Amino acid sequence: MKPQGTFEREPARRVFASELRETRYQFKDGDDEKSPTYVILPSGIRSNRIFIVGTLTEKERRGDQNIFYRGRVADPTGTFFIMAGSYQPEAMQQLARIEPPAFVAVVGKPNLYTTQDGNCLVSVRVESIAVVDRETRDLWVLDTARETLDRLEAFGTTDDSKKAQEEYGTQPDLYKKIVYDALSQVQL
Amino acid sequence: MNLSEVTERISRKLETKGAQPDRQKIESRLHRLVEEFGVNVNEAERTVTADLAREHNVTGVGNTSTELRPINEIVPNDWVTIEGKIVALTPPLSPSIAQTGIIADSSGAMRFVTWARGNPPAMEYGQWYRLESAVVDEYKGAPNLKIHSGTTISQMEKDAPLLPSITPIAELKPGVGSVRAKFIQEWDASHDRMLQTGLLGDETGTIKFVIWKEEGAGSSGTGQAAPKEPLGKDKLELDAVYNIFYATVDEYNGRLSLALNTAMYIADEGDIEVGRTETEIQGALVHVAPGSGLIKRCPVEGCNRTLSRQNYCPVHEIQPEFRYDLRLKAVLDDGIRARNVLMQREIVEALTGIALEEAIEIAETNPLGMDEIFYRVRNTVLGRYYTCSGSEFGGRMLVNSCTPIVFSPEELASLLNRAGGEPA
Repeated sequence: MKPQGTFEREPARRVFASELRETRYQFKDGDDEKSPTYVILPSGIRSNRIFIVGTLTEKERRGDQNIFYRGRVADPTGTFFIMAGSYQPEAMQQLARIEPPAFVAVVGKPNLYTTQDGNCLVSVRVESIAVVDRETRDLWVLDTARETLDRLEAFGTTDDSKKAQEEYGTQPDLYKKIVYDALSQVQL
Repeated sequence: MNLSEVTERISRKLETKGAQPDRQKIESRLHRLVEEFGVNVNEAERTVTADLAREHNVTGVGNTSTELRPINEIVPNDWVTIEGKIVALTPPLSPSIAQTGIIADSSGAMRFVTWARGNPPAMEYGQWYRLESAVVDEYKGAPNLKIHSGTTISQMEKDAPLLPSITPIAELKPGVGSVRAKFIQEWDASHDRMLQTGLLGDETGTIKFVIWKEEGAGSSGTGQAAPKEPLGKDKLELDAVYNIFYATVDEYNGRLSLALNTAMYIADEGDIEVGRTETEIQGALVHVAPGSGLIKRCPVEGCNRTLSRQNYCPVHEIQPEFRYDLRLKAVLDDGIRARNVLMQREIVEALTGIALEEAIEIAETNPLGMDEIFYRVRNTVLGRYYTCSGSEFGGRMLVNSCTPIVFSPEELASLLNRAGGEPA
């Protein structure tokens, strides 16, 4: 694991929207109040931070006392739900300034919610967001495809992927297909 | 270790002395000690060798530990006898330790520790000693000689000049090392007890070094054992070349650094073309840290610290005559590891297209001031993919070059192949 006594920033995992949408399993690594919370992604890796690039298609301001912004970011496979509240004033103000549609890069924490009717929702709490260009979006699709394939190829050999198998019954071929479809939408 | 190997070694040792030992006997004795009595193999080897040597009336083999060994050939778990010179004494970290320091012979040097419990005679700095039956173990990744109650310490009437062999920086290992290096970069002391820290380099690479302030009145030993060396340590001079003998090589988080408190260092003539070990990383820039963009630096010669918004330098207080600088402290993340990167002015200018003069003008005319530059820099680089190369120190890469990654159709094609679906 990590060397003791040093802080190592959690890497931002690359994940497509359709994979993140299937994420249901969340756990805390440690008993401490400040222990990090991770989700297990169906392709078999823990994550408490993700990096996504897509098109901000919609944004709205919500709340009276506690203002927050919600937005939708589309990638070739589906939609991410992003959120920035007053606990992240910088991120919230960055999001407030962006007019959809726009290509955006988002760094944030995946969070699981259960709605009143019992559905499970994954949203991304924004740490930073910035407007980017189409090329960055395409680079992200390649990057995310590569990392997803790496995880699928190691599937079953790591503890996290065994956990994913247990929780989701992941079929690697299904996710390979998703990767393939995502790549097909990138224009040469 | 295989017992028959040990048997073989013991019998060969005795045979060279003209004895005809019975191998079966050796093996069965080894077996008895190791299997029945749980003695470790090294000790069993020593005991059996000594016993047989006595039985065959052979001298000079005896137990392996009386064989004189050069220091550079010793590995952890060896029982050894060495002759060496005390080239450094350092303050013990615990009352159960009588002395710590470095002992050297012509082949190399090693840290040692003497336990207080055996009430050993104090060794003096600069003197030669013969140490019989000391044991070597590993402490913080480096071999360390333990002088315990069973070790015989005898002072030697010897004062052979000792010329330590210089190790290229790239080949240093934890323990003790001597280098010939140039002081190429001075860093802010990050701790009260630090006298000086920075970067040393030779042709093969660079390494961080630290000189700690010495405890007490500046002597680096305990009481009567205090070495007869000048009180406290001198600072190094920037850009000078030094011969540094017997520095302590520490490892922390996989990175090596040199502590010069045990070392003797003498300025040398000549210059060194310092070799840089560059690493290259790729990833998305996922975080721009505070302190990026336009900053103010302390104008005092050799200081260069970053000033606060109120122009306050932690050392030189208020400095209204500051100078501006541009930099970027960020995190480059490849999805597997997040790494801190630090970019200097030229790189930031090239990356953002904002020159320092322009940045100063914007900051002085814009209501947001210096924040405006921070936002502009952040909005230009955040979320973008870059290749950075540079050298890594203290968990941060000092970036020498940074180029945006461009889209490659070949990469797309090869990923499509990997994903392996039928063409849509």
